[in-house]
Amino acid sequence: MGDNIYLPKLARVIHIKEEVPGERAIKTFRLEFMGDDGFEHECGQCAMLSIFGQGESMISIASSPLVTDYKQFSIMRAGRVTSAFHSLAVGDVVGIRGPYGNSFPVDDWRGKNLVFIGGGCGLAPIWPVIQTAVTKRGDFKNISVFYGGRSPRDIMYQVELDKLRSTAEVHLSVDRVEEGWQEFCGFVPANLMSKAPSPDNAIAITCGPPVMIKFVIQNLRSLGFRDDQIYTTIENKMKCALGKCGRCNVGKDYVCVKGPVYSWADLKELPPEY
Amino acid sequence: MERILDKGQLGDWIAALDGWEVFAPVLQDDVWSYQPVRRATDSVRLNHPNTTQPPKNFAFPQREVFFTFEQIKGEAPRLTPLVPKSEQRVIFGVRPCDGRGLPRMDRVFTEQFEDTYYQARREQLAYVGLACNQPPGRNCFCKSVGGSPVSREGLDVLMTDLGDRYLLLAVTATGETLMRKAGSLLAEPTGVDRGEAGRVHLAAITHPQRAVSNTTSVPARLKANFTSPLWEELAKPCISCGICTFLCPTCHCFDINDETAGSVPLRGSRIRTWDTCQFPDFTMHSSGHNPRGSLGTRLRQRVCHKFQYFHENFGMFQCTGCGRCVTGCPVGIDIITVVNQVASAADLPLTGKG
Repeated sequence: MGDNIYLPKLARVIHIKEEVPGERAIKTFRLEFMGDDGFEHECGQCAMLSIFGQGESMISIASSPLVTDYKQFSIMRAGRVTSAFHSLAVGDVVGIRGPYGNSFPVDDWRGKNLVFIGGGCGLAPIWPVIQTAVTKRGDFKNISVFYGGRSPRDIMYQVELDKLRSTAEVHLSVDRVEEGWQEFCGFVPANLMSKAPSPDNAIAITCGPPVMIKFVIQNLRSLGFRDDQIYTTIENKMKCALGKCGRCNVGKDYVCVKGPVYSWADLKELPPEY
Repeated sequence: MERILDKGQLGDWIAALDGWEVFAPVLQDDVWSYQPVRRATDSVRLNHPNTTQPPKNFAFPQREVFFTFEQIKGEAPRLTPLVPKSEQRVIFGVRPCDGRGLPRMDRVFTEQFEDTYYQARREQLAYVGLACNQPPGRNCFCKSVGGSPVSREGLDVLMTDLGDRYLLLAVTATGETLMRKAGSLLAEPTGVDRGEAGRVHLAAITHPQRAVSNTTSVPARLKANFTSPLWEELAKPCISCGICTFLCPTCHCFDINDETAGSVPLRGSRIRTWDTCQFPDFTMHSSGHNPRGSLGTRLRQRVCHKFQYFHENFGMFQCTGCGRCVTGCPVGIDIITVVNQVASAADLPLTGKG
């Protein structure tokens, strides 16, 4: 008999950073496997994190596969497990199993321009791709990152985004006009249109609230991006992460196994149950 | 291997199955259920219509503990997996529809990621099936979903009732082992026995049943009618009780939760329980967004999972036609009617989100 697929490995919280305060708070956690019992992952894959006594939650791995000392997760406080995560302190021990799901075909994108479009907590799932592209900067042509939040306080990875400006174009936005904000005011899809990146030899990668993704895809198409040049990730409620518990399916696909990464060409063929 | 067993000696066969835990249908308070049979002391009569619940719980119990945990705050928890070490179990009197449920569960639980807990029970499990000389229920429709009242699929032994005796057919090596344990209780079938069995099987197969119509094109026609308004209309009476899925021999959806027994130190267990796509919170995100937030979308999920998605993934229906969901539904939602109505509706123009 193989490994027990439901038994998590143990990991210690080695670093916690408060990204966004308030009701929709986001914190970033770095988890270090205890002992030699870890796993490798690819860009876009997720892990099932657990706090014993509270339960499990599927979270996308926000660190690059090139980082091997720890795995990073940016978690918005939403339900029971994610709220429990927000009460953790450095040194606490949690459960982790994975990696789960498919990944972004980053290797196929060598020599291309990459356009990232994220909103809110949706920067986390595409962050490993951005980090990998920046680390292997010579493999890619122009890299641009569009990212927005409701207000300046809702912008996550602020320090990292500033650092990113040396190697990539960074276009930030906030939904509403706010005093002191120097960059774009308005929704992410509008910011995208104002800069109008070229579809030539480009791949667009987007993740964020469903309504944002919908308009981003519309706008990308009007800019001339083909369906197979657009990638996104989808999420659904998950319990097993193994294609068995039956709740995350979109048509015949269990998102935990076949997703979370889809090209729009593939995703538009599935029923809109996400 | 085919053998004849005198009906009066069924109990003796069961008594000879040392090393096996034996279960058989027992009628208690008007409910047929699989109960442990204590060797020859219980007289087992396989004259049941079908059990109220299918035998799927033997491989996939309604509630099971994955592991226990004990954790002092800040320290590493101690996890103790509770993988079942069950005795070999044989279930007598399994109807062919329920037999066919098991290989469908196998596809879900043993492919790609092998489910440790399911596999541990499954490896120890054998089914001695009983052919249905007549449909045991008024909502039987096995023939229209690829099955048959004499199907061997998923069974280790198929028994056929020949009046005063059974014809036993070994379907698997495990089935042969079980039959060999009967020793001299079994006799070689005669030409008369075989002729009688042939007549019984033919009568069973030709007996009229309810049916899903034009089955081969059902997956494609359900896909074409994904946005049909019929889904919401047909689901209107649904009270989201989930009985259709809890009684189903192939429904496998489950939930995983932590139960705590103490907080300092933290002690508890991670458990799996059956769950159902018919509960509104089954798919609800923590944001409140629900991809299947209406009765119609949930009925569509149950029906399309069985008749379209599973077929697209595995080339077979995830329905064996036992009819329990029809008989058990308190508001009369009938999967045969639903499939027939939706699949036969004219292809409708797509109207966006269903």
